[in-house]
Amino acid sequence: MIEIHLYGKLRRFARDQDPTGISVVHAPVQEGDTIREVLERLGVPMEEVGSNVFLNWQYSALTRKVKDGDRLAVFPDDMQLLYKWYFPKVGRDVEDDRG
Amino acid sequence: MSKILRVNMTDLKATYEDVPEKYKPMGGRWLTSAITCDEVPPTCHPLGPNNKVVFAPGIVTGTAAPTSSRVSVGGKSPLTGTIKETNAGTGWSQSVARLGIKAIVVEGQPKEKGKFWLLHITKDGAKFIPADEYVGKGLYEVYPKLFDRFGKKADIMGIGVAGEYQMAMAGVCFNDHEGKRPSRYAGRGGIGAVLGSKGLKFIVVDSTGLPAATPIADEALFDQGRKKLTEALRTHAVTKPKGALNTYGTAVLINIMNEAGGLPTRNFSSGTFEGAAKIAGEAIFEGNKQRLGKELYNHACSPGCIIQCSNTWYKPDGSEHVSCQEYESVWAFGANCGIDSLDVTGELIRLCNDYGLDTIEAGGTIAVAMEAGLAKFGDGQKAIELMHEIGKGTPLGRILGNGAAVTGKVFGVVRVPGVKGQNMPAYEPRAVKGIGVTYATTTMGADHTAGYTIAPEILSVGGKLDALAVEGKAKVSRDLQAATAFVDSTGHCLFIAFAILDIAEGFEGMVEECNGVLGTNWSGEDVNKIGLDILRMERKFNEAAGFTKAHDRPPEFMRYEPLPPHNTVYDVPDEVLDSVWEF
Repeated sequence: MIEIHLYGKLRRFARDQDPTGISVVHAPVQEGDTIREVLERLGVPMEEVGSNVFLNWQYSALTRKVKDGDRLAVFPDDMQLLYKWYFPKVGRDVEDDRG
Repeated sequence: MSKILRVNMTDLKATYEDVPEKYKPMGGRWLTSAITCDEVPPTCHPLGPNNKVVFAPGIVTGTAAPTSSRVSVGGKSPLTGTIKETNAGTGWSQSVARLGIKAIVVEGQPKEKGKFWLLHITKDGAKFIPADEYVGKGLYEVYPKLFDRFGKKADIMGIGVAGEYQMAMAGVCFNDHEGKRPSRYAGRGGIGAVLGSKGLKFIVVDSTGLPAATPIADEALFDQGRKKLTEALRTHAVTKPKGALNTYGTAVLINIMNEAGGLPTRNFSSGTFEGAAKIAGEAIFEGNKQRLGKELYNHACSPGCIIQCSNTWYKPDGSEHVSCQEYESVWAFGANCGIDSLDVTGELIRLCNDYGLDTIEAGGTIAVAMEAGLAKFGDGQKAIELMHEIGKGTPLGRILGNGAAVTGKVFGVVRVPGVKGQNMPAYEPRAVKGIGVTYATTTMGADHTAGYTIAPEILSVGGKLDALAVEGKAKVSRDLQAATAFVDSTGHCLFIAFAILDIAEGFEGMVEECNGVLGTNWSGEDVNKIGLDILRMERKFNEAAGFTKAHDRPPEFMRYEPLPPHNTVYDVPDEVLDSVWEF
C-alpha cells in the first residue's frame, strides 16, 4: 500500500475532502508501478496534475517508480508555485527531455 | 523633467535637485544602492547622523506597464550592518513617479530629539508638518485619520511605534490599494528604525493635478514591450488569472513546501509541520468561504497589478481581521512557531502591521523566544502577549524588537537561523540547497527575494565537485541574482520572474518597456551587466563596512544538525559559496 496525499481540486478522489485537513487515499501497488500509473488507476485526469509532485518528500517525475510503504503527494495544475529549479527532480518526464 | 527630492531633517528643508547624468537610467534598487554607495559612509552608525534613507520608484513605475507599482527603500541596515534594499507594492510609488520625483533622499537628524515630522508632497511642493498627535499610536488608528485629513487620493508611507523606538526589525509601511490599509511593508532590515532616528514618521504624497502617467521616450517601443509582458503574465500557470497566485495566493506554498520537507518548523528544527494544512492557502480560501458565505478571490495590492495575489482574512463574525496572510507571514507565525490557527497568525500579522514590524523577522524572533523558554511552541496567546511587549517598548519588548539574533544572544539560544544578523525566510536550506546559497551570499543577509537560485544538485556534473562544476553553479547563481536585481530596479513586482524566466518574449517585453521609457538600447546581455554592476557596488559597500567571505556562510548549526524528514545537513561547500562572488 502507498499513501497518496491529495490537494486542491484533487481532494475529491479521497474520502475526507476537508481543504484544511488531510485528504489521503491508501492504494495497493505492484512492482514496477509508476506514479502516473497509480494516479491513472485512481481515476485522476492527468491534465489536472501539476508539476508539484513529491514522492517521499522528493520532487519527482511521473515516470518514477513507487513501492510499498511510499508516501506520494500530488498538487493540481492550479497550484504550481514552486520556482522550478529549487529542487532537483528525481526521474525525468517527457517534457524535461523536450526542454 | 524628473528631480531628486533631498529631505534634510536637521534643517527641515526639502529641496529639488537635478538628476546627475549617471543616475538617469536608474530606478528602484539600482538607484537606492547607487545613492547609498555614493553618499553613506559604510562604517557609519545606522542610527546616527550620517546614514540616509533613499526611496525610489522603478524605471517603468507610473506608466501603463503591468504590475509595476513597486518602491525600493534603501540605506544602511541597523539589523545587518550591510547595505539594504527593501521593497513594497503600493500606489505610493506611482504617485511619487507622477510627481516627477526619481528618488527621495532623507538625511540628517532633527535638532529637537524625539520630535517627529510628517512630510506632505503635492504638485505645489513639499511641506513639513509636526506629527506629534500621531506618535505612540497604532497605524490602524492613524492611517484613517491621515486619509481624512489629506484626502482619499493621497498615498502614505509611515513608521509605527517600532520605528519610533528605533528597533532593528521596524519596517516601512505603505497603504494598499482598495482599502487604504497600513498593510504593504518594505519590511526587511529595519529601515523603519533609520527613519525613526531621523524623526520622519510619514511621507504623504498626492499627485492630483499632474499628468496621469510619467513621460515616455519611445511610445511605440514601450507599448510593444508592455503587450509582450502582459501576454506572458496572462499565460503562465503561476501568474495568470485564476492561476496559482490569483486563486490561492502565496500561502499555497505552505502545503507544497511541507510535502517537499522544506517548511521550517519550530525554529528550523524540522522540515514538516503537522498543522500545515490548517494554515495553507486552501484553508484561507475555505475559512473565508465559511465565514462570508461566498468564495473570495484575491486582489491587487496596488494599481495596475494583473497578477492579484493578495488576500484578506475574516473573523468568524464576518468582519475583516487582517490583510494579508502571505506565505512568509503565515509561515513565520505559524509553522515556525508551531501554531496551527489562522486566527492566531492573523492577529500576529495585524499586530505587526499596527506596530510597524517586519513579519518575517518578528515570527523568527518569537520562535527563538519560544526556544529560549519564554513561551511553549504552539502557544498563540503567549506569542500575542510577547508582541504586545514589543508594542509597549518594555525592556523585554526592546530585546525582541531588535530581532532573532539579538534575542538569541540575550537568552543563550544557539539555533538562530540567520545570516549577517537577518533571520531566514520560509525555505529551509537543508532541503532547498540552492536557496541556502542565496541566503549565504546575497549582499542583503538571509533574504529569499535577492535572487532565485538553482539547486546545486541540478548543476552537479557527474556527482563530483570539480572546478568546472563549481564555476558553473556559481555563474548560474550569480546570473539569477543579477536578473533579480534588474527586475527590482524596473519597479515590477518580482513575481513577474516566474513568467519571464520561462517565456522569452516576456523577458524581452520587460527590456523593451525600459528602453521605451528611457530611450536606451539595452539587450539581454545589458540586463545581466546592469544586474552584476548593482551586486558589485553593493558588495563593495559591504566590504568597506567590514564584511568578508567569512560572513557568507550558513549558520553553523545547519552544517551539523540533520533536518527531518530528509535528515540532511547543509553540505554545500564553502568554496562553492565563495565562487559566487569571483567575477
